[in-house]
Amino acid sequence: MLVVAVAPFMLDSYTLSILVRAIFFAMLALTVDILWGYTGVLTFGQSAFFGAGAYAAGLVFTHLGFSPEMAALALGEALLSAGLIALLVGWLSFYHGATPLYASVISLVLPIVMTQLLFSGGTFTGSSSGLTGYVSFDLSLEAWFWWAGFALIAITALAWRFVHSDAGRLLVATRDNEMRCSYLGINTSTLKIGLLVATALVAAVAGFGYASFSGVVAPELAGFVFGTEIIIWVALGGRGTLIGPVFGALLIECASAYLGGSLPYVWKLLLGAAFVGVIVLLPQGLLPALLARWLPKHWATSAKPAVTLVEAAARPTSGAQATEAVALRGVGKHYGSLRVLKDIDLVAAPGELVSLIGPNGAGKTTLMRCMSDGAERSSGTVHIAGNDIGRAPPYVAVRYGLGRKFQTANVFATLTVAESLRIARTRLDPPSLWRRAEQLALPAYALAVLQVTQLDKKLDTEARNLSHGEQQALELAMVLAMEPRVLLLDEPTAGLTLAERTLIGQVFLDLTHRFGLCLLLVEHDIEFVREISTRLVVLHEGHIAMQGSVQEVVESELVRTIYSGAAATPHGASA
Amino acid sequence: MALLLDILTTVAILYAVASGLLLIFGVMKIINFAHGAFLTLGAYASLVASNLGLSPWAGVPLAILVGALAGMVVELLIMRPLYARPLDAILATWGLGMVIGQLITLAFGREVQFVASPVQGTVNVWGTDYSAYRLLLVVAAAVIGIGMAALLTRTRFGLITRAVIMNEQLARGLGIHSGAVRFITFSVGAGLGSLAGCLITPLSSVDPNMGIPWLMNAFMLVMVSGASMASLLLATLLFGAIQVVVSTYFSPILGGLAIVVLAAITLRIRPKGFARD
Repeated sequence: MLVVAVAPFMLDSYTLSILVRAIFFAMLALTVDILWGYTGVLTFGQSAFFGAGAYAAGLVFTHLGFSPEMAALALGEALLSAGLIALLVGWLSFYHGATPLYASVISLVLPIVMTQLLFSGGTFTGSSSGLTGYVSFDLSLEAWFWWAGFALIAITALAWRFVHSDAGRLLVATRDNEMRCSYLGINTSTLKIGLLVATALVAAVAGFGYASFSGVVAPELAGFVFGTEIIIWVALGGRGTLIGPVFGALLIECASAYLGGSLPYVWKLLLGAAFVGVIVLLPQGLLPALLARWLPKHWATSAKPAVTLVEAAARPTSGAQATEAVALRGVGKHYGSLRVLKDIDLVAAPGELVSLIGPNGAGKTTLMRCMSDGAERSSGTVHIAGNDIGRAPPYVAVRYGLGRKFQTANVFATLTVAESLRIARTRLDPPSLWRRAEQLALPAYALAVLQVTQLDKKLDTEARNLSHGEQQALELAMVLAMEPRVLLLDEPTAGLTLAERTLIGQVFLDLTHRFGLCLLLVEHDIEFVREISTRLVVLHEGHIAMQGSVQEVVESELVRTIYSGAAATPHGASA
Repeated sequence: MALLLDILTTVAILYAVASGLLLIFGVMKIINFAHGAFLTLGAYASLVASNLGLSPWAGVPLAILVGALAGMVVELLIMRPLYARPLDAILATWGLGMVIGQLITLAFGREVQFVASPVQGTVNVWGTDYSAYRLLLVVAAAVIGIGMAALLTRTRFGLITRAVIMNEQLARGLGIHSGAVRFITFSVGAGLGSLAGCLITPLSSVDPNMGIPWLMNAFMLVMVSGASMASLLLATLLFGAIQVVVSTYFSPILGGLAIVVLAAITLRIRPKGFARD
């Protein structure tokens, strides 16, 4: 702050005016860092929002003249147009199942379309030469510098606070594992669209400021090449650091202004070469690399406040308990002509522990997928606690009370145990946009899992540094933290020791008997299944071959022949 | 008739430009944003050939050679560490494109230059006089397309390449040196880019940034085509035709946007684009 306050007295006016421009660019770099560095959405299109803000100012001041009212109108128009474009682009880019590459593709198309529209605007937009010579705010260079400088500091501080808040961790969670987010009941599409709109508004304000200060707008400001320049600032400065991109933008813009005049081509050549070098050799950028060298190591990690675990207050279950926790009717799934599941009818009540058994390839995991993701099945209906999931993505089934643990541990690589559990509570305890909670409330059974596996002593460890078994336990605890009514577990004992298996079995029994959850288990370990299940369902070649009590199924001739592989199926379809 | 020929030749040019990008994307799952720069390299190769007073045809082998050599160097130095980071690979190749563009500017200046066409005059096609060179490009694009199809389906290298496309891990397990496949593919793709650049020079001017608009169109076409030469042909035919029609009857600016906008919408509706399941 002091630097900003005194800088105008130390610097000549040329440097000062370059710095003011660079400050507006730095705001833009911040928005790209939030999207790309934190959330993992590589965008080439933030320049389009900057251009929208700049042209809102340029057009209003040129055609309607300048007055405080007109300035307010222009700013409003900048925000409105950028917000609407961001909504449209977000809707296009972030649908359920969209690949990260597709969002980047759309972010490329946007600035290309914007520039072409500006080119074709004739005298209204000034076509290729843009708009110049309009009257704008009557401020001295020093005043501009102070305004812009303090605005940049304020925006950076806000962004810093946000990404380090509980809600900000959601961005990293989305980047690390979008599928897990969806299975924690988080609608990542809405999250990303909201984020895009917010960053677009900031970019538009930066563009508005830039156009008001410089008195020039040109189509290049909204263009794709400018969009890639922002990425260069962010990449060189250090993605995911906020400060790095700000300094990246300021330093590179100032250097460009000085060196670009004397050695234009060589400077751009060096910049391009540095960019390639950083991407290949130092993907985290220059700032983190410098910090790692010059700062003591514990600096980076000590900032996180300790979290204490507490038991969550019991939630009143809303309305009458549905008698069917999960109900599948006529569910089928085929890939082309290959039918993986045929006519599955399966109903399970609260308090039941149903185990699905069957040889490899019987369709067990596919069936679990069909129960949780509405887009998966080809026919039939799925109800979770009485609610039809229709064709909805997993977060909807999760909101109806479903929890799914995957076969291989599915966690957030760079989040700590405490942060991961916090994310799992997003739907029940909305996180703060501003602070980090010091307490983390979890249901008793989730706490029990943490204690049994001793994860409660590793709350500050990042998930990728946990052992395989610990990651499995973390995922189970995360799923339980959502307080689900129906729990799908895909081989939960795989890779566990005998002692751990007994403990986990006890937890499952508790969940069904004491808390009335409905558990569906896919399991190969028949001994384990036998001890805890209330019912067994045998899946064979995509249909339910048999279901009944443990006793009935284990002693049946059919199951023996299925497992020994010699049986003809009851339908006699294949031998 | 002229419209039909316009469509045919435009499609041929787009196909020639996109094929190298598609080859690299198909095998390596990497988007080569330096493709525009390789294209520019090819264009300058033909400029050099014509300035040296060589036969106009000498530019073609020279462009392929320059592009393939550049591709080899780039693959060895830059692409190797980036196969596991596809989004970073886009950025690195874009930065590389900047570097190549600036090197060209330093060597040749940034002004627009022209190269004479090796084939002058027009040919009468069913009553319409049409540029002979543009028609020649259709033949060239067909040769590229058929050549690549033959390479992929008729040769041992093609068999290995297809194995790597379908399942790289398995291919590696079977003792296929997938690194070598990538190296050759990237070089061939870069060479094709340069070849395309050399072929389009007589039609357009040559300048250090000429590759970027071509890159965008080719990139979008590859995105909707997946990894198949056949679906690329289909996408190019459809979108190329729309581009020409819109440019002719409405406005060239809208026409220039046609491919990128249509491709983006196609992908939103059908993420696989024109590729079959």
